[in-house]
Amino acid sequence: MIAFTDIVGMDLAKQALMLLAVDPSLGGVVIPSTVGSGKSTLARAFADILPEGTPFVELPLNVTEDRLIGGVDLEATLASGVRVVQHGVLSKAHKGVLYVDSLSLLDSSAVSHIMDAMSRGAVIVEREGLSEVHPADFMLVGTYDPSDGEVRMGLLDRIGIIVPFTPVNDYRARKQIVNIVMGTRDEEDTQDELRMLRGLIDAAREQLHKVSMTNEQIKGLIQTAISLGVEGNRVDIFAIRAAIANAALSQRTEVEDEDLKLAMKLVLVPRATRMPEREPNPEEMAQEEPPPPEEQPQDEAEDQNAPPDETDSNAEEEQEETPDMIEELMMDAVETELPDNILNISLASKKKAKSGSRGEALNNKRGRFVRSQPGEIKSGKVALIPTLISAAPWQASRKAEQAKKGIKSTAALIIGKEDVKIKRFRDKSGTLFIFMVDASGSMALNRMRQAKGAVASLLQNAYVHRDQVSLISFRGKQAQVLLPPSQSVDRAKRELDVLPTGGGTPLASALLTGWETAKQARTKGITQIMFVMITDGRGNIPLGAAYDPNATKAPKDELEKEVEALALSIQADGIASIVVDTQMNYLSRGEAPKLAQKLGGRYFYLPNAKAEQIVEAALS
Amino acid sequence: MTQTAKAAKKTTSAKASAAKEAKVKAPAEEKAVTEVKKPAAKKKSALAFPFTAIVGQEEMKLSLILNIIDPRIGGVLVMGHRGTGKSTTVRALAEVLPFIPRVKGDIYNRTVEQYVEMESGSKGAASIKPEDVKTELIPVPVVDLPLGATEDRVCGTIDIEKALTSGVKAFEPGLLAQSNRGFLYIDEVNLLDDHLVDVLLDVAASGKNVVEREGISIRHPARFVLVGSGNPEEGELRPQLLDRFGLHARIITINDVAKRVQIVKLRREYDEDPEAFMKKVTKEQQKLQKKIVAAQELLPQVTMDDAVLTDIARLCMNLGIDGHRGELTITRTAHAFAAWEGDKEVTMKHVREIAGLCLRHRLRKDPLETVDAGEKIDRELGKVLGEAEAAA
Repeated sequence: MIAFTDIVGMDLAKQALMLLAVDPSLGGVVIPSTVGSGKSTLARAFADILPEGTPFVELPLNVTEDRLIGGVDLEATLASGVRVVQHGVLSKAHKGVLYVDSLSLLDSSAVSHIMDAMSRGAVIVEREGLSEVHPADFMLVGTYDPSDGEVRMGLLDRIGIIVPFTPVNDYRARKQIVNIVMGTRDEEDTQDELRMLRGLIDAAREQLHKVSMTNEQIKGLIQTAISLGVEGNRVDIFAIRAAIANAALSQRTEVEDEDLKLAMKLVLVPRATRMPEREPNPEEMAQEEPPPPEEQPQDEAEDQNAPPDETDSNAEEEQEETPDMIEELMMDAVETELPDNILNISLASKKKAKSGSRGEALNNKRGRFVRSQPGEIKSGKVALIPTLISAAPWQASRKAEQAKKGIKSTAALIIGKEDVKIKRFRDKSGTLFIFMVDASGSMALNRMRQAKGAVASLLQNAYVHRDQVSLISFRGKQAQVLLPPSQSVDRAKRELDVLPTGGGTPLASALLTGWETAKQARTKGITQIMFVMITDGRGNIPLGAAYDPNATKAPKDELEKEVEALALSIQADGIASIVVDTQMNYLSRGEAPKLAQKLGGRYFYLPNAKAEQIVEAALS
Repeated sequence: MTQTAKAAKKTTSAKASAAKEAKVKAPAEEKAVTEVKKPAAKKKSALAFPFTAIVGQEEMKLSLILNIIDPRIGGVLVMGHRGTGKSTTVRALAEVLPFIPRVKGDIYNRTVEQYVEMESGSKGAASIKPEDVKTELIPVPVVDLPLGATEDRVCGTIDIEKALTSGVKAFEPGLLAQSNRGFLYIDEVNLLDDHLVDVLLDVAASGKNVVEREGISIRHPARFVLVGSGNPEEGELRPQLLDRFGLHARIITINDVAKRVQIVKLRREYDEDPEAFMKKVTKEQQKLQKKIVAAQELLPQVTMDDAVLTDIARLCMNLGIDGHRGELTITRTAHAFAAWEGDKEVTMKHVREIAGLCLRHRLRKDPLETVDAGEKIDRELGKVLGEAEAAA
């Protein structure tokens, strides 16, 4: 077990966890990072710096609903004849840490339950005749590899801190890591450092209430949030808490610029939905014009004498800064420190992905209870009534048998293993349609319009069949996921608004990206997948082009080999495909039908394709 | 072990009271009363963030209040951005709701009339005289339907413990029973399991919960104001369910710095010392409650001119809204809104304020449509009003 202080690198992640240790009301920390970067080691080491006895519960990805939120402990209930409650994982993490590795792979119903628990600080159990409330006020620490897919925004919204994506540690750090893993560090040093850190955090917790923040600083943070297009008000509160926690860690009583910058880095920027505009827009200016009446802060009132509307006072004193200056300061930090990271948190997953191939579709453990069948007590949900019914006829003989053996039981019913009936569920899990639209060349606009219409039209009825739609466009050097699998008409509309076109045709990249999207969807329980490719089938950019600028040209047969290998694998993976060829001129050399054949799919030639026709083709 | 044992004991006593619900005076009724009085959400901490301290989001607040004034409006769907206080607002509602009378300890929250009507007919029970039935005042129940709820807890089911220990078939009421004459709140309503949606649609349409399963045959009243909230980015709502909601309030992130600063300040003040904070807003809360009660009392006197009704019908027709639910909802909501404003007559001024809430989700949805539903309604509203004025 590697201690928190022994972990090299990932300083921002460490800082984030320390802030959380100081103020658990920050909700949690999410650490996106690539495989083998030590993120899960760090997360587990988080327990080191928390007060002793703090629960640390690790959530397995395959957790079932009843284990997550709790329910009837069936064995105990049957044995005793009284209902015995089994607490779920979420309530076990109460006042402690819930740790989820590979957060992005968590089943969506589990995510919903975690979200619900986080918003209530409790778990409500309304199941199997139980009606209970179990406190579950926990810190969520999650790690994930962005190439495995996205974490649901709703969940991220309840977690205060999102550490900016860090791809890999540098080589020096790696060397040091190896040294530590090999055990060359002195155990005593480690213990000393840990003690020191715990002391620091204890002191900071004490300090927390003494830290003050000026109105201007609060306004500055909020203005920054607005400039970055951050959704919701929860984030403002998290940002303020983070800044205060950081000040407390430094044993200060006032929030300073560095605290604000850190709060911006860890709370606001990862949720940015747009690049900030440097010129404040007139509307916001107007709102700022009349400086609001002086409000006395909790303490340090003497610093508030200067009116906050002096823009160029350039004072050394932070307290005299105006919100605009604070926003300015933070925007500078955005530009200098995080040039690539902005907007990247969720987009990171849209880059080249190495998918975790957990492949297997989930068992149907949800949905409508259809019928029961004999089975093992652990293999599913027990259907109580049928179980009782099947046990009933044998009661007399079983009691007699027990009496003969001299066993005394208080249970009114004797239930044997052979009586147990398991529920069978039928669940509607729809199809994921992955649209891959060729956005290269001159016909791109037309194809895009049709694809948009088709996507929209499929989504119209998506809720009926529980279908989802994803949209991938390919042009230039590589394919790009424009719309991750979604049921949301709103979201599709938004994502499809900006569609650049033109450039080369990275067909192989499209197939790979589509395949990875399919694999990710499968880990979330979607079994039926269909590729809808709208293209003439003529790829001219190799896979390698995304990484190697010189690789844009490749021999034709090599390109074909790439596409063929991918297409065959996709077919073998049980993914259905259709290829819609919209090429109007007669230059077509039959690449699109060939592509359809390799994919084992159907080919449609629809030169004037309307959205409805594409939908019809996909559904036929 | 002690934990589970304790929990088991707790449920035993709850079951005891539930099983005896059919009898006139159940000895364990005390338990049932306290359960209803403390909806699940409030068990977490006695203090929910107060309704009157919620900044902005007027659409949502108005929709909820109108539904209190007239529960027949048909509930409200609150959709919008994350972290904008949707569930906070709904959970805060419980504190400002007026009281209703019910038969003492009745798990279905029935009125004396309902109680007498239903129980007199049941086999074995002698006819009950209304004057013998004791009543009590309870706050309008707000029942939280969590996503992980199973169908048996929603609808009610056989009491397993009874079945196990004494072989008796007894009914154990579910959340639908608890929410009768109150609010049923579903957070993340667009993520609700299909089979639960089916159940809710059924019950919402009939106002009755019919349980025919596991050898149990029971029906009980279940008339509730359905409140759902969610983020449209997480998925769409089934059209049938969407149509069930009377009103549709839309929530967006507030982009006014001053307002956001205020939100943050209030929240921090509340977090520091919830009790002191609650004390500070008590007056406001009481004032709101009084205003709601006054509107409820005024409502039966509110009238509407036929000309207004004609305009409403024209508006719905021009917008191409299917069925008559649009007109009905606008009419009811406009009455409630007039009462809320203290007016005795509904005018187009009232209609204008609430038309968006009533119609937004009833317009045919076209994902490629660029015009916002609200704008479209406003435009048609302007036309209808213009014509009305020209005619006058």
